Amino acid sequence: MSAILDHLPEFWEGLIVTLQLTAASFLGAAVVGLVITAMRVSPVGVLRGIGTAYVETFQNLPLLVLLVLAVFGLPEIGIKADLLVTAIVVIALYEAAYIAEALRSGVNAVSAGQGEAARALGLTFGQSLRHVILPQALRTVIQPLGNIFIALTMNTSLAAAIGVVDLTAAANRVNLMEAQPIPIFVGAGLAYALIAACAGFVTGRLERRLVMVR
Amino acid sequence: MVSMKRMAAVAAVAMVGLSACSGTDSGSSAVPGVPGETKGGDLLAKAPVAAAADILPGSTMEKIKQRGELIVGGSLDAPLLSQQNPTTGEVEGFDADMGKALAKYIIGEPKVKIVNSASETREALLSNGTVDVVFQTYTITPERAKQVAFAGPYYSSGLSLAVRKGTAGIAKPEDLNGKTVIAGANTPAIPAIKKLAPQAKIVTFGSDPECMQALKQERGDVYVQDEMLLVANAQKDPSVQVVGQPFTTDPYGIGLKHGDEQFKKFVNDWLKKIQGDGLWQQTWKNSIGTVVQGEAPTPPQIGSVPGS
Repeated sequence: MSAILDHLPEFWEGLIVTLQLTAASFLGAAVVGLVITAMRVSPVGVLRGIGTAYVETFQNLPLLVLLVLAVFGLPEIGIKADLLVTAIVVIALYEAAYIAEALRSGVNAVSAGQGEAARALGLTFGQSLRHVILPQALRTVIQPLGNIFIALTMNTSLAAAIGVVDLTAAANRVNLMEAQPIPIFVGAGLAYALIAACAGFVTGRLERRLVMVR
Repeated sequence: MVSMKRMAAVAAVAMVGLSACSGTDSGSSAVPGVPGETKGGDLLAKAPVAAAADILPGSTMEKIKQRGELIVGGSLDAPLLSQQNPTTGEVEGFDADMGKALAKYIIGEPKVKIVNSASETREALLSNGTVDVVFQTYTITPERAKQVAFAGPYYSSGLSLAVRKGTAGIAKPEDLNGKTVIAGANTPAIPAIKKLAPQAKIVTFGSDPECMQALKQERGDVYVQDEMLLVANAQKDPSVQVVGQPFTTDPYGIGLKHGDEQFKKFVNDWLKKIQGDGLWQQTWKNSIGTVVQGEAPTPPQIGSVPGS
């Protein structure tokens, strides 16, 4: 136990970085995911194609490969950013593919009549998405989005492999000094579980509040 | 139509994959290659075998002998120490050869199975009996000695500094304060830097080629790693140079299950034997000696460090 208590400041700093990574990359993923979903359901064939290619590419590549490529590959062509920023961007782009798929399932759950009615009222594609389709779609996918948030939280631990000192990297470093892997990693695991539990609680509340009675 | 889209996606993925390969290739050119051809063969032919009387009934040695295989916790990616040769699949280097020699001493033939362990898992792997021994630059410390037993030390090394050629103002560990320092994740470099230069910002990467790439891409000012690895890297890559002398002493021990005094004594006796008959020195020459000039150093005194 003292292995954790003696190193609380290190764990705390790691936890803060993990929370930053999680919050920033989820925000980025939500924005990009929304755009990709709009492309995938748009009436323009080229946009649909790009959206599909994006989702297929990012869902079929391991996140660690993307992270290592971005950190070591991009500087070779002159693009170099801070490690934390690189990690946030890569995780956001990766998770955006999953968010896009969840949102698309929500869009498909909105009955076709809604879209037809919006068009009949003279709304443009953008307007019907914004005012009719997406508000209903989002409410049906709160739970899947919560799951993606939790998965994203766990995925941020991969940033430890590219030099970001998140909770996982902090636990690794403490273990290097204390050689007490079981309490140290159980402690780090509990912190992740706590984040996931909060996310689960919030999504549960949101879902009950925003549920649509059909 | 759908299959067309799939195809396009697959092609895109394949292209990214290809560029990934070329990316890692340029990185791995910093890894010292496998020295010449494998000399492990004739080296192991000379390795001693324990007398039947030394394999005490009911002991760990007897169990290993009956199994016909020594299970070693080790690395597959540590150049000169324990690195898998991609063409032969053999694991080569100082630690790997020591493991094979110990296997021959117990079993009569150098049969080992290497379980890729990490510094997070070594203590657990030993205590639950997944591996018999750990040969993995396992620095003996009193904290670790509470959970595992250490035979040896069988080798002693030290950390050194590497910089991009032409970097000024870094010559000793105290110069690292305020600098960004690259280190291998889970290496003793991290606590050492924290102690000697508390104001340094430490960035860690998983493997030695990644750390070298990061140094060259200016993700940090200096790379702290075991001296012989740095010397090997600097030989392969003239844009990097090693500065100053090693500033730590890391005694490497052979990790054994905690409390198994019988096995510890057996392994220490074996170490004494191979250090006396020149096998240890020859193993050093075949691996580390390919990049470090001069004769094999004097092996550290067995049991000379706290925790061993």
